[in-house]
Amino acid sequence: MTDQDRNRPFDAARASGAGGNAETRPALSVVVPVYNEEENVRPLVSAIRDALAYTDSWELLLVDDGSTDATVALAEELAEQDRRIRVIKLARNYGQTAAMQAGFDHARGAVVVTMDGDLQNDPADIPRLVARLEEGFDLVAGYRERRQDKVITRKIPSWVANRLIARVTGIPIRDNGCSLKAYRRELLDRLHLYADLHRFIPAMAAATAGARITEIPVRHHPRRHGKSKYGLSRTVKVMLDLITVKTIQEVRERPLQLFGVGALGACLCGIASAIAAVVAHLSFVTQKAQSVVFPGVSLLWFGLAFYLLMLGLIAEASLKEELPRRRGSMPVVREVGGK
Amino acid sequence: MSGVGVEVSRAAVAAPEERGDAPVSVSVIVPVSERAESLTDLYREFSAPLRAAGRSFEFLFVCEPWAYPLATPVADLARAGEPVRVLEVALSAGETTLLKVAAAHARAEIVVTLPAYRRVEAEALPTLIARVEQGADIALARRWPRRDSWINRIQNRVLHALIGRVAGAELHDIACGVRAMRREVLLDLPVYGDLARFLPLFAMREGYRVVEVNAPQHRGDIQTRIYGPGIYLRRLLDVLGLFFLLRFTDKPLRFFGLIGSGFLLSGAAVLIALFIQRVGGEGIADRPVLLLGVLLVVLGVQAIALGLVGEIVVYLHAPSRRPYRLVRTSSAGKPER
Repeated sequence: MTDQDRNRPFDAARASGAGGNAETRPALSVVVPVYNEEENVRPLVSAIRDALAYTDSWELLLVDDGSTDATVALAEELAEQDRRIRVIKLARNYGQTAAMQAGFDHARGAVVVTMDGDLQNDPADIPRLVARLEEGFDLVAGYRERRQDKVITRKIPSWVANRLIARVTGIPIRDNGCSLKAYRRELLDRLHLYADLHRFIPAMAAATAGARITEIPVRHHPRRHGKSKYGLSRTVKVMLDLITVKTIQEVRERPLQLFGVGALGACLCGIASAIAAVVAHLSFVTQKAQSVVFPGVSLLWFGLAFYLLMLGLIAEASLKEELPRRRGSMPVVREVGGK
Repeated sequence: MSGVGVEVSRAAVAAPEERGDAPVSVSVIVPVSERAESLTDLYREFSAPLRAAGRSFEFLFVCEPWAYPLATPVADLARAGEPVRVLEVALSAGETTLLKVAAAHARAEIVVTLPAYRRVEAEALPTLIARVEQGADIALARRWPRRDSWINRIQNRVLHALIGRVAGAELHDIACGVRAMRREVLLDLPVYGDLARFLPLFAMREGYRVVEVNAPQHRGDIQTRIYGPGIYLRRLLDVLGLFFLLRFTDKPLRFFGLIGSGFLLSGAAVLIALFIQRVGGEGIADRPVLLLGVLLVVLGVQAIALGLVGEIVVYLHAPSRRPYRLVRTSSAGKPER
């Protein structure tokens, strides 16, 4: 296989991962992004192997996200010994979202489970997730009961963030930060992750792919080896991402509405300022300089309204190019009647 | 040789034998875009060390329309049996396009990009090629030791300090333009327009291994360069564009949202202060700072709205994009397919 084959965009890579000989296709794919986890790789793989002893039809995809330690070497050694283990090596550290998407693109199972590579998730929960998925869901999210992390820097920000995300997106998932999740293949085919959207997978899955989602409690262990790769600094980023997700959820097919509402608001402010200007002019303005401020403010608001309308039109134009092509492939979940 | 209307993507996947006859070990690409010295002299000078090192090579001169006549003597060389090819592209589309077109047509898996004017001494080429053969994806020539005037060196320092901050890359001579690289890398990189200059930065961003190799500066390159203010302004815009392209292409709201909330919050602060004064009984109709406050809010909303449009566009293109690049996959020695 040449480099070019490997790096073909997305859909092609996915087709090649999912296609091929049906007999070699496992029932379950476990996707684990790893980044500098040399101490955790071996225990992780043996824990997963133990947890999946009940079935033989599984594969494990270790997605190396540009590790600089011995992680890859160890993982490839394990892959040599066990045909069910595959290693996917990314060219640099892309972050968790891209690593997960790489795993999804190469996973061949009908069910895909993701988890963290630091052993804080327990592979023993996988069978329960899969069982719940088979009850008729597209996505089963784990939430960490009795979370074993630092209170100030991890648990409190996470609690606030989860409340906020649930509130804003309308998807009542208790723990968006927990990587342990199970997905149906058909859902993943419709879900495209980029940037840092892994924190918003349930919201994106529900809004853009119509996923049926539920959650179950999972175990959580304290970190045994290595260092946590997160900190407090992401708050602002998460807030901005949340605005992004909300926008995609609400207006991805009618952005002009959003910008229209904004323009209306700006117009109202402009009218209010104009009235203030007239009132001021009639009642108390004595100097020439005074007659500038309120009319100026009014003009600024009208300028904003105009700008937002124009921007809304550009957004609509960009949809027109993309969406009609894509909507034809919207899956039909159920058909009633006919013959 | 008539105009070659080139379709890069198709040529890019063509097997070597379809790109030309006998495979060669290195293709030297000379884009003739803005400025050019005598192409035949260039060929004689730079092919000598390759010949001396016993390498098989070809020179590809890729010309924009205005430069077609410059290539006429090169065509004579080709008729005389020298390993040179001339590709005339249909329209002027910048150096990056020329490089990509040439890469699609190159016969060798290692290519050298060589400006149409002299930057480094010709002996540097074999070293650069060797570095790529040893495993680097791109080997950049760095003109070192510099023998030109201090003005050039200061300009160079300032530009690279800026780039270093923006791209997080420690490179010293990005303008040199003499580089050896794997053909595939050149085809794969998301560069266009004027971005050829920053090609190594995009390569690093994609996780390719980039190394710098010191190369003696060419005698002909030693001169004082002072440009018009327009050029400096363009370089500054380049750095801004680079900053955005390298970091925010898949998350525009992180960029516009941060700027926008800055404006919005400071505007809100001004308006709140005014509101408090108004409630306290002070008139605000004669306070120009009200204009400032509203202006800041308006700018903030504009920046955020623009960021949202960016996000919608990125979302729309997500299904056709690949957010990562693979180095390899392994599955117990069994091929993937």
